[in-house]
Amino acid sequence: MRMNYYLQVLTVLGINIILAVSLNLISGYTGQLSLGHATFMGIGAYTATLLTLKLHVPFLLSLIFGAAVAALFGFIIGVPTLRLKGDYLAIATLGFGEIMKNILLNMKITGGPMGLRGIPKVTNIYIVAVAVVIVIFSLNRIMISRVGKSFIAIREDELAAEAMGINTTNYKILAFVIGAFYAGIAGGLYAFLFRYINPNNFGFMKSIEILCMVVLGGMGNTAGAILGAALLTVLPEFLRSVSPVISQYRMVFYGLLLVIMMIVRPQGLLSGTSFYPRYPRRLSVEKSAGKGGQ
Amino acid sequence: MFKLSKTLILLIVIALTLLALAGCGQPQSTGSSGSSSSSDSSNSSEQASSDDVIKIGTIGPLTGNTATYGISTKNGVEVAVDEINKAGGINGKQVKLFSEDTRGDQTEAANAATKLIEQDKVIAIVGGVLSSETMTAGPIANDAKVVMISSSSTASGIPDIGSYIFRNCLSDDVQATQLAEYAAKDLGLKKFAIIYTNNDYGLSLKNAFEAKAKEVAEVVDVETYNDGESDFRAQLTKIKGFGPDALYIAGYYTEAAKIAQQSQEQGLKVQILGADGFYSPKLVELGGKSVEGAIFTAGFFADDPSESVQNFVKAYKEKYNSEPDMFAAQAYDAAKILLAAIKNANGEGGEALQAEMAKTKDFPGITGNTSFAGNGDAVKDIIILKVENGKFTKLR
Repeated sequence: MRMNYYLQVLTVLGINIILAVSLNLISGYTGQLSLGHATFMGIGAYTATLLTLKLHVPFLLSLIFGAAVAALFGFIIGVPTLRLKGDYLAIATLGFGEIMKNILLNMKITGGPMGLRGIPKVTNIYIVAVAVVIVIFSLNRIMISRVGKSFIAIREDELAAEAMGINTTNYKILAFVIGAFYAGIAGGLYAFLFRYINPNNFGFMKSIEILCMVVLGGMGNTAGAILGAALLTVLPEFLRSVSPVISQYRMVFYGLLLVIMMIVRPQGLLSGTSFYPRYPRRLSVEKSAGKGGQ
Repeated sequence: MFKLSKTLILLIVIALTLLALAGCGQPQSTGSSGSSSSSDSSNSSEQASSDDVIKIGTIGPLTGNTATYGISTKNGVEVAVDEINKAGGINGKQVKLFSEDTRGDQTEAANAATKLIEQDKVIAIVGGVLSSETMTAGPIANDAKVVMISSSSTASGIPDIGSYIFRNCLSDDVQATQLAEYAAKDLGLKKFAIIYTNNDYGLSLKNAFEAKAKEVAEVVDVETYNDGESDFRAQLTKIKGFGPDALYIAGYYTEAAKIAQQSQEQGLKVQILGADGFYSPKLVELGGKSVEGAIFTAGFFADDPSESVQNFVKAYKEKYNSEPDMFAAQAYDAAKILLAAIKNANGEGGEALQAEMAKTKDFPGITGNTSFAGNGDAVKDIIILKVENGKFTKLR
């Protein structure tokens, strides 16, 4: 199927939205800085691709299985590293990303640096749209539940959360696993859109790009993550068609936007208008949400 | 549920904004036909309506850390397009070039190719520059029946993307294989030692060279090093023990120059052989006397006395005030092959152009005569250069 240019950009945007909101769950809501989010995306992409190419598993099944494997890796990585805090966790996730990249680069089945090609084109705007809605809907359900409240409690004050009876390590691992699952879905969609993947697509720079979307939009705000993803996906493409002068220097504008944003509004675009209000309103919100959600 | 709907509203707003942009973007890019491309300001075709011009595109990294390759490629194509436009265009129609940046990113390469095909309606694309770009942009072009010719994506599997995908460059396999054959048959060398840099470039050169050399002669030792190292005495001592008469250095000029120097210091008297990683004036600057007589393969030789090469070098220098490199030369040739095929297809794109491209046979370019194999891969003679009196000369 041939895709209109705008639909193509919109499809990429949908994938980036899934990535940004899933990282936002880990870094924004739960407050755990992860620098290896693209790695989970890569695991999902490679698993889904290999299942389809080697075992001829149908698309939807391999997509979900890819996400499950990504979640499994989220668990395996989460157990030892989430006892670490802040900078230490960031370095550990960074290291994990580099390890996975090198494994993918050296394994025969992943095609090494040549990557995997000849992936059938399945992903289109409708599939991505449905995936985005499902991801955001389920994320919202999680965030207004007890689990979501626990995530936010961990971010606000880990000691206090622990004192309130929240098993912080378990909840942090859970956030990691859920985030990795969504990232795995995004990776699968990515592979079936571009029909070619190689380890460099899922390296450190991609992780930083996703983190930029979250920080730009506003940490701990799903709508912010969506807005951040939209800006950083559409802006370079938009600048491409404005005028030749701007198109030549479009990466300068891109960087300029990030710098200005961090000076003018370091908390991110939408951070102040969080959909999940801070203390002390949260208790009342929880009650009404509990009633209203039924 | 209120919260959810607010998020969804934002999503819908973004989608609608994009569609609105889509609406006003379309006429803009076709309306301002001259200005949407930064490349053809020197042409007189700016006022020409879209029916009178033939549109082709390039994609490649014009920004980012691989930008030098992309810019050289774009420049090479521009020289070819200028040349044909000055000569009156193709059947009276001027050629208009649209260049899109990819940042070296495969996602952007797919976006750029889609834009060129769907918005700018190009009939052919020169690119991508990096193999990963061609891997994602290629299937899009192939589906849309737009001919794409890459001038630098050396990865295996590129021509197999589809019948609309062609390639005009020197693959690592081909140059190593041909040099091994040349060294054994024409130079009469018998015992080869190999030292390679441990990356994909060095590895694929070494594999191909070793396979061929074992077939036609003997490989006595294979050693490895990492880029950036400066002491190779350990490896060279070991190599000396095997008494080879030739040393194939699969790597870049900086290390190659040092390896040549140190092997001379160690009294290792061998014929130095290499690949296109040698091709830089720096090789002689760094290596001095020790690289004298070194023989290596290259895709392009800027000092080639032939008229077509010198015309290209002159035009390139005039326009960009710099020396053309291999990327520029291969892109120039790719564009020339493409433009010739467009001429034969009467300016038509799609199937007609694909058929004409596939018919290309012994096209006399500045990087050697080019034909296409059945899958669209280039079949061409490799240029073999030798260092003589501190200068490069062409052996073949």
